[in-house]
Amino acid sequence: MPTTLDALPPGKTARIIRIDAPGRWRNRLLQMGFTPGSLVRVVANHGVGPIIVSSMGITIAIGRGIARRILVEPL
Amino acid sequence: MAGENEERVIHVAVVGQPNVGKSTLFNVLTGRNVHVANWPGVTVEKHEGYRRHRGRLLHFVDLPGIYGFSASTLEELIARNYILSGGADVVLVLVDSLAPERTMYLALQTLEITPRVVIAFTKSDIAHSHGIHIHHDAIARRLGVPVIPVSAVKEMGIEELLDAIIDVAEGRAGRREPLRIDYRELEPYVREAEKLVSKTRLAERLPARWIAVRLLEGDDNLEELLRREGAEDVVKAIHSMRIDIENIFRTRPEELFSRKRFQYLYSIVSPAVVRVETGVRERSERIDRLFSHPVAGPVLSTMILLAVFLTVFTINTGFPLNILLHEAGMPGAAEWVEEHSLGAYLEEGVDALIDAANASLPEGFIRDIVAGGIIPGVGAVLIFLPLIILVAFFLAVLEDAGLAPRIALSLHPILSRIGVSGHAVFPITLSLGCNVPGVMAARATPSARERIRLAMTLPFIPCQARLVVILAVASALRGIEGLLIVILAYIVAFLVFAGVNKILYMLEEEREEPELLLELPPLHRPSAKVVWWLTWDAAKHFLAKAGSIIFLLSILIWFIVSYTPGLSPAASPRDSIAAAVARVFAPLLAPIGLEGDPAWITAFALLIGFVAKEAVIGALTIATGKPSAAEAIRSMGLGDAQVAALTIFTTLYVPCLATLAVIYQETRSLKIALTTIAVMMSVAYVSMILAYLLFTII
Repeated sequence: MPTTLDALPPGKTARIIRIDAPGRWRNRLLQMGFTPGSLVRVVANHGVGPIIVSSMGITIAIGRGIARRILVEPL
Repeated sequence: MAGENEERVIHVAVVGQPNVGKSTLFNVLTGRNVHVANWPGVTVEKHEGYRRHRGRLLHFVDLPGIYGFSASTLEELIARNYILSGGADVVLVLVDSLAPERTMYLALQTLEITPRVVIAFTKSDIAHSHGIHIHHDAIARRLGVPVIPVSAVKEMGIEELLDAIIDVAEGRAGRREPLRIDYRELEPYVREAEKLVSKTRLAERLPARWIAVRLLEGDDNLEELLRREGAEDVVKAIHSMRIDIENIFRTRPEELFSRKRFQYLYSIVSPAVVRVETGVRERSERIDRLFSHPVAGPVLSTMILLAVFLTVFTINTGFPLNILLHEAGMPGAAEWVEEHSLGAYLEEGVDALIDAANASLPEGFIRDIVAGGIIPGVGAVLIFLPLIILVAFFLAVLEDAGLAPRIALSLHPILSRIGVSGHAVFPITLSLGCNVPGVMAARATPSARERIRLAMTLPFIPCQARLVVILAVASALRGIEGLLIVILAYIVAFLVFAGVNKILYMLEEEREEPELLLELPPLHRPSAKVVWWLTWDAAKHFLAKAGSIIFLLSILIWFIVSYTPGLSPAASPRDSIAAAVARVFAPLLAPIGLEGDPAWITAFALLIGFVAKEAVIGALTIATGKPSAAEAIRSMGLGDAQVAALTIFTTLYVPCLATLAVIYQETRSLKIALTTIAVMMSVAYVSMILAYLLFTII
């Protein structure tokens, strides 16, 4: 069942389906390799504040507002 | 130089994503003979440097750190235009050995534009300890360009890299054509678009296939260029292809293209990269979880920053250790700390120089300007330099260790309540030292509106110059009350900073929620060399930008204090231009019960403080003829409430002229600079009256 990135617990891996964040952030995410189809693993998610995810060897902190607009399929 | 004319010059553009270690490698390649300027018309810095190798002169141009060439940011556009202009014989792309998949993306995008590429894998000395093994030759074979592992810190692979650059420049190695990425099911669209594009004049300058792909991804800049040459039909045709793609694949074209590009990238990199679990990642992730914890994160970060500042403050002025020692019943130790602070030593040195000048030069204009203007001017710059170096040093350690972005992310939730993002942490931290580098650091904030709000409000953060004044004024109060007033000044300053930010944020139409998107590079032990470079760059920056302003202003102070409004030498500061102006403003201090001599002397000191905040003390002592600020204040008969009110006013009123100059430089708007003065003056004035009333009641 698809959900949004901010709803995933730490340790969970998911596949990105769609990124609906505003243009500037979407562009940056795409360039960092967070493209639809790629796998992300949640490193930290405390329910408030930025969440931390990693994908292909890099770790990034994503503001909750952006994470809420990333649609993912949990694996 | 006759030899230079025969020497072949090879122009090398250096590109890389943020955090790949570009500036470190750039320093090694150019031997730190770097010329810094701005790119034409913008405040993005351009670094250039030279290196001789095998009889050639290599000219390196450091392009801004970017993630790609989408031209959606100023930095991307600058880098892209430079490469497209053909000004570089070779483009050197840096790839991070610790994140090869993600950072190779830029190399791939570069190869789509030009075949004259050399790829360097940075940090190759620590890749193994992170369990990453890269088969560089396999990648070189697949891409057809040299791939060289290097380490800037250990200076490994530099010779090989320089050789490869020369080989590509002289046609002995590398590709002949740009890279053609197979976009699979999107290929029919690419070929169709390429056919349309190749008829335009733009395609005579730039690779047609690259233009086609970029237009399909959506590129305002290229569309504009085509419209200008009258190729509106091409733009329209490709627009409808984009709609087609989105309808068929149910995904935005730009997402499809980056996905295909990454798939192609993985097909090259994955077979060439082996990862072994080393436990480094596990440890690093535990730290990341801690920093992102809603309570532990901000506490930890605040403690780190507080520790840095208390150390810097103590080394620089002796405060707050001196007062703590004093209160602990160790006045001897307190005095020792004060006397052995950097600030005290420098002040002594400057005073000795002034005495020497007074003793050795014959009486007259020359002596006056040297002893009264030039030496104090140079001194004012020198007094700030160690402070700037200390702050820069600690921040460089945090940055090189990889802690800086983690601190930013942990404080993001708190900062977003006042409308700014976690990116604002470092401008704020730097501002505690000096507002000038603080305002300059706000550049790195992604949101343009947030940047302007920060530029306008950062001057509320008390810098060390203001700390010196606050301490001097507070020293008129005895013991613990003095310490309390200093703490109060900081609390008020931060509350005002927060409040004004929040108000400016709420005033914006179409407010955007402060957002954060930060890469967290692997944590590692900072390298002494890199820390030293970062520190020295900050110091140089300060000397070049603020140094000249502070120096000139010190001479201006000397002039307005030494001359009468009739432009003849003033017999006493009471007859000077500054005193005359101060008398006009003196009535404004009536609400806090000041009139007569104390009123104009205070106004005089504050007026001079507009030029440079620390000069307030000097102005007080000059105008009253007393040896210290505390005695000057006591001699004017000011009460505790008045001292408190003035402390608050000094903390909050107008940015110094150097900061004002930087606000103007960064925002390129006189309106913003003037609004900043107006906001600060009114906030400071109201706070001063409130503080006076509050303390009178108590």
